[in-house]
Amino acid sequence: MTSPLKSIRASFGQTLVTLAKTNTNLYVVSIDLKSSLFLTEFAKKFPHRFIECGVAENNAAGVAAGLAKTGKTVFLASFACFSPAINWAVINQSICQNDLDVKIVGSHAGLMSGDLGASHQMLEDIALMRTLPNMEVFAPLDASETELIVKTIAHSHHPAYLRLVRPESPDTHLTKKFTIGKSLVIQSGTKITVCGYGPILTQLLDPKYQNDHLEIINCSSLKPLDDKVILKSLKKTGRLLVIEDHQQNGGLGDALAHLVLKQNLRVKFQHLAVNNQFGQSGKDYHQLWNYYGLGPAFINDAIKKLLPSSHS
Amino acid sequence: MFLTAQKYPQLVRLSYELRLDILNLIYSSGGGHIGGSLSSLDLIIATYFSDIFKNNHFVLSAGHICPALYVTLAKKGYFPKSKLNTYTELGSILQGHVSTDVPGVEYSSGALGQGLSFSCGLALGDRNHQTVCLTSDGEHQEGQVWEAAMFANKYKLGNLINIVDHNKYQIDGSVADIMPLDDLAAKYIRFGWTVTVIDGHDFNQICSAFEKARDSDYPNCIIANTILGKGIPTMQYDYHYHDVKALPETIYHRAKADFESIIKKMDPTYDFTA
Repeated sequence: MTSPLKSIRASFGQTLVTLAKTNTNLYVVSIDLKSSLFLTEFAKKFPHRFIECGVAENNAAGVAAGLAKTGKTVFLASFACFSPAINWAVINQSICQNDLDVKIVGSHAGLMSGDLGASHQMLEDIALMRTLPNMEVFAPLDASETELIVKTIAHSHHPAYLRLVRPESPDTHLTKKFTIGKSLVIQSGTKITVCGYGPILTQLLDPKYQNDHLEIINCSSLKPLDDKVILKSLKKTGRLLVIEDHQQNGGLGDALAHLVLKQNLRVKFQHLAVNNQFGQSGKDYHQLWNYYGLGPAFINDAIKKLLPSSHS
Repeated sequence: MFLTAQKYPQLVRLSYELRLDILNLIYSSGGGHIGGSLSSLDLIIATYFSDIFKNNHFVLSAGHICPALYVTLAKKGYFPKSKLNTYTELGSILQGHVSTDVPGVEYSSGALGQGLSFSCGLALGDRNHQTVCLTSDGEHQEGQVWEAAMFANKYKLGNLINIVDHNKYQIDGSVADIMPLDDLAAKYIRFGWTVTVIDGHDFNQICSAFEKARDSDYPNCIIANTILGKGIPTMQYDYHYHDVKALPETIYHRAKADFESIIKKMDPTYDFTA
């Protein structure tokens, strides 16, 4: 299956403009990354609801919290390596402890930031966000799912984190309806449960993986996780492959390992994630995924380890 | 302005009554942040009882001095005074750092330096009311405070009032030794704020500064010179009383007797058992 490439970031910015036309309570708090987050049109159309804080992540998170306290729905937009990385303590206290309607939007997550190098390849954001009480965590698969997630969380009235990526990526249109806490089984299979989130999971949509062995689950709702769908699959397959453009520590793999142990399941486990390293610049993200063990060769290898008889 | 012949003695009497409440609260719970509670109390009393602000927001950025806020809110009727002796007990709304579980509290805090940013958001989102933020001087060492100071100037938050409880001490010593703030007033002026420097224990000066701030078109900083541990001579100016693990019996009984005798002189009918 080949899908056209589309920008997740652009989908985010366009969806906010659409929402803001009818929702006059919708605000954006920006940290000098308006154009990178595709918010130029929003700022132009709704100048009084576009609050520019400059390069000051801590204050921006606090301002967003205060605005939310007055009844606004606030999208706090930046790169993930700055927000939530720099302002985590403000997100913890001012947003989460106060349980306020602020959506932290962290773009440029993962190795997908490509040539920008380690400082801009946020690999710890899911870990930082999923540990916070009151915080929900979402990572869209593609541009069309981004639109659905943004429209959904704009009505949640609680803190949420939305993970976006820099480059264009396959727009699969697989998600027709998004519900918080629900995962979509993209492909049904019987031997291996594959869980992942974000564009890296679209590697598994390659025709060579289209067989009845792999049950592929899009975990775009990372917190709350869809325990029910995932456990049902694991009870069937007994094998789990997790792939994520994130550190091994603290990501989806950890969350699922915990789920499996808690249920006393016996599950064979392979986890493709960045192994306790920082990223670096590369030609493109495919090169980086291959270098850090997340590319097709590693997926094939992990499948073989889980299912030695597999010929995929 | 000068307070009326009715208002001034009312605030002064509250100042002693609520000092006694703070003393009892911290004594009975076995400890708490007493120094800053006593230095900031008159500022909080004036905010809640002067009637200068109408339906204002109040943000306690220095969340550790919550005993001063708790006794004020109890006096104001937000919750029964009997709850005060549950301070820091498991399950109590009166946590060791202030939280929104307390009726009347709009912001949970404790980590310093965050409240002024939150107040900027409140002031921007609700331009029709004043947002009053109480910060400590020590927390001005946090860079976030100055990010907020820039922001308030850019968005011309004339309805924002930052009261700095300038008692000149922090947990490990004097502010001047730990990390000097130098001329705080000059810094705020340079950041585009209207600044008023007052004696933070003089209700005429406090209320006069509040009125000036209420009517200002620019963000307002009231630098209130206060005394750490104000009202209990052995604690005054001694940073070891930033917080106490246990209040020594002799200090407690002496201070209690002092406060009670002053309150009795002001109001012979005052019921100390209430």
